[in-house]
Amino acid sequence: MSLVAEAFVTQLAAAEPWPENAALYQQLKDEQILLSDNASSLAVQAFLQMCNLPIRVVCRANAEYMSPSGKVPFIHVGNQVVSELGPIVQFVKAKGHSLSDGLDEVQKAEMKAYMELVNNMLLTAELYLQWCDDVTVEEITHPRYGSPYPWPLNRILSYQKQWEVKRKMKAIGWAGKTLEQVLEDVDQCCQALSQRLGTQPYFFNKQPTELDALVFGHLFTILTTQLITDELSEKVKNYSNLTAFCRRIEQQYFEVHDKDSSAIAARSAKRSLLR
Amino acid sequence: MAAPMELRCWEGDWGLPSVHPESLTVMAYAKFSGAPLTVNTISRSWKAPKGDIPVLISEDKVISQPAKILNFLRKQKYNADYELSAKQGADTLAYIALLEEKLLPALLHTFWIEAENYCSVTKPWFASRIAFPLSLYLPGKMSREALNRILLTKGGPPLYSLTEVEAQIYRDAKECLNLLSKRLGTSQFFFGDTPTTLDAFVFGFLAPVYKVCFPRVQLQEHLKQLPNLCRFCDDILTCYFRLSVSGHSPAGQDTADANLQKLTQLVDKESNLIEKMDDNLRKSPQHPPRKLTTLKLAVHGEESSPFNRLSP
Repeated sequence: MSLVAEAFVTQLAAAEPWPENAALYQQLKDEQILLSDNASSLAVQAFLQMCNLPIRVVCRANAEYMSPSGKVPFIHVGNQVVSELGPIVQFVKAKGHSLSDGLDEVQKAEMKAYMELVNNMLLTAELYLQWCDDVTVEEITHPRYGSPYPWPLNRILSYQKQWEVKRKMKAIGWAGKTLEQVLEDVDQCCQALSQRLGTQPYFFNKQPTELDALVFGHLFTILTTQLITDELSEKVKNYSNLTAFCRRIEQQYFEVHDKDSSAIAARSAKRSLLR
Repeated sequence: MAAPMELRCWEGDWGLPSVHPESLTVMAYAKFSGAPLTVNTISRSWKAPKGDIPVLISEDKVISQPAKILNFLRKQKYNADYELSAKQGADTLAYIALLEEKLLPALLHTFWIEAENYCSVTKPWFASRIAFPLSLYLPGKMSREALNRILLTKGGPPLYSLTEVEAQIYRDAKECLNLLSKRLGTSQFFFGDTPTTLDAFVFGFLAPVYKVCFPRVQLQEHLKQLPNLCRFCDDILTCYFRLSVSGHSPAGQDTADANLQKLTQLVDKESNLIEKMDDNLRKSPQHPPRKLTTLKLAVHGEESSPFNRLSP
């Protein structure tokens, strides 16, 4: 979007307060959603909970196609639709709620750098595992991705998505990596996050920021999703302060609301369903 | 003693040891950690650049990406990061990810996709360093790969045209430069007084933007408004890359000649001023020639001494 269009949208956003019926759209929780999309969706939910903004999770099979950028999750607030964590953070900021206002310039630069690290390494590793590792693709991804659609549409859609993801991996140089190298990268990323977190409750001081939401979304999903092997979750479990961090955020922000306990429901559903 | 290590990379121009960001990163790291690398630049030979450049060849091992090359150098005990704390090591990884996500697309665009830049500078430069007939094909291939990478990573909806994607990536790159400048502040390197891996990566990405002369230079202009980053690049160039790289001395000679020219001009100006003053004061025709000869001698004296200082 050009600068003028962005300024216009920001003004529109700032005009109304946060409504009660804001909705977050993602794919079907039990049958369709994949690891990477679930992680992104959980990150957005965590961020909105941290800002104390009410949100209702709606599951639709065609959420990916409804989204303005093709990626889930997206939120429908008033008459505006915003997708992905970055733009959602800016949208929420325009409405007057922000988690990172208390940070100074250097800390904001660090926060942005760590968010890029998570997107660059963790998200790409999740995508690689889902779409480029043959065993996982055959047994988990293909059945799940096209499950709401009849044959042959389900196979066509999942092959199309796989081709797209593989093209992207090739462009950024991940196509030549083996699974061990990808897991090595995940380990390095977790090590960096663990060292940055140290013994603090959150990454920056005592208040959570969008970085905490993003890290929680990814790590919690990795820890609680059952894949073919447990190697990915083992890499995260090696760092006890990261698991404690996930548990702390879950207890504080997700167990308070009993009917909207998306995290707990997701955990039990995944354990039973993803064989 | 470690086995001799050879680095094959693109050569340098415009005062840089190499024009390619990844090659520059590896060379900078080697200088910081003191690793003895023989640098072989790709010239017009039939040993075509296969696969990724830069490539490190040590005994029988061939290692190709910058991250892997740096890992290898660290295992050979050439470590520039041993004084860093764990948190600083984590910060290094994070900032490198920021550079790759936000700055690299704009860098690739400036070099390979911006039509004027590509046709007038990048393509002729690279073509002149690759053997014919590959020089007809390889620059085009590199350009297509760069475009592919940018479109696949940044070009999804809601950005539907190349101009919108370009606007977005330049905005991201300028924000990234601002963040780097804030993080650097007034210190000499990113983590104190000794350069580390992060400094090598930042230098590798920034120096081509800073030094290469393109017709369309919006990123360079933005960088020049951040004086601490410019100072950072200049410091590393003068301290670590002054005398060793073979491709650097013609550039060094050029700067020496430029300095010489400026000095001569200054001295001429001063001599003219003094002439005028003398004319006003004495109004005698005999003195100016004498004054001129003494001034000329002084000029020669001054000319020779900086020349001696500048030559290696």
